[in-house]
Amino acid sequence: MKLQTSLLLLAVTAAPFLTSCASRAAKQPAPAASATVGDKKSDGKSAKSTEDLDEYDAVSIADPLEPLNRATFWLNDGLYTVLFRPISKGYEFVIPKPVRTGIFNIFENVKFPVRLVNNTLQGNFKRVGQETGKFLVNTTAGVGGFGRPSDHIPALADVPDADTGQTLAKWGVGHGIYIVLPVLGPSSLRDTVGVAGDYALNPVNWVSIIYGGYSWIIAIPSTNTVRALPSQMGIYDAATKNALDRYLAARTAYIQYRREAASK
Amino acid sequence: MNLRPLLFLAPVILLHGMACAATTQAEKRLQTAVNEVLAAADRASNLDALQASLRPILLKHISFDAMTRRAVGPGWRQFTKDEQKKATELFTTLIIRSYSSKFTPGERPVITFKTATEPAPGRVEIPTTLLYQGGHYSVTYRLEDSEGWRITDVVIEGVSLIANYRTQFDAQFKKGGANAVVDALSQSVANP
Repeated sequence: MKLQTSLLLLAVTAAPFLTSCASRAAKQPAPAASATVGDKKSDGKSAKSTEDLDEYDAVSIADPLEPLNRATFWLNDGLYTVLFRPISKGYEFVIPKPVRTGIFNIFENVKFPVRLVNNTLQGNFKRVGQETGKFLVNTTAGVGGFGRPSDHIPALADVPDADTGQTLAKWGVGHGIYIVLPVLGPSSLRDTVGVAGDYALNPVNWVSIIYGGYSWIIAIPSTNTVRALPSQMGIYDAATKNALDRYLAARTAYIQYRREAASK
Repeated sequence: MNLRPLLFLAPVILLHGMACAATTQAEKRLQTAVNEVLAAADRASNLDALQASLRPILLKHISFDAMTRRAVGPGWRQFTKDEQKKATELFTTLIIRSYSSKFTPGERPVITFKTATEPAPGRVEIPTTLLYQGGHYSVTYRLEDSEGWRITDVVIEGVSLIANYRTQFDAQFKKGGANAVVDALSQSVANP
């Protein structure tokens, strides 16, 4: 008798949870049915999450320069097609993949001051330690950064990148407005300042800042640009191919990508 | 021994168990989808063949209805049934093409599953890391329990597939309503 009461009690207390679980399996309303659901303000809280059409509304940035930005975007797009993509393809054709990966790694390793300074400015001393460890391991065991033995050390394998724009974001600086930079592409007022900071912190650029534009010096930043082209063209294509409006696609992707970077 | 006081814990335990059950089911579904996609990618020799073999797999595991509805947003209510159907068909083709083009035949990605979360009942987010062609990427899959667990969004490095199309659909919708959205979709599908 006592057991029966207990079971009954259990059934009653569990009932709401059982039904809430069952309702998950319930079929989603047909599109026509969701047409009767009110707008954002009236149904925001009561609507079942699966019916909510408004949750993806958040991605936006002020774009008062849109006509100019669009022009720059298409200019860049043309430049990528006639210049960057052929260079990228040529580089991929001439240099075997393991060597390309090694060259890519070397330049990423050299960028260490960018990550070190920004992690410090963000007050993230755990990552300062991780980055320093990564740099030491890859410079020594990885032979000047060509290999990435740090990938095989769990504590160093997945350290999020740090850059100046991200530091400004963490300090509470907003994007300001959207800007498409010539050649470099999507950016914002804040991230343009960030790009300048990253440029100054990257040792690859120090030689040309100090010694000027001799051709043998230019070769270093040029290689740095070329080694990154295949992956950058890949990212650009992934964001803009199959889009309805490639300008908007690039802008939305950029804002989301930077928001994620600032949250890491 | 009177165990009755402990019964008050029962709902908590049950709820916890269900949350786990939901994430486990969703994880299983994603694992199946990923395995089938990788097997198809291994077999295909070129992009066209890959796209053809991926289509039935993706149709099975992705809820393109939910995807299209979300990507269009509140304007969806002003679409006629025919326009909704047309938009869903076109968007499906576009997404499958876009997804297939990200594979390079012969290169196998390594996918690591991380701890799944359940942000709301009937919804699960599964973060993963993708190691592909030497790069590390964070890829989060969003799944919903509609007719069984289905993928409804893919978020690559913070960039949500739905959010990306949402901005574009919004612009078209403001320009010329459902018609403009369907036209723009047809144009994108026609011009690879």
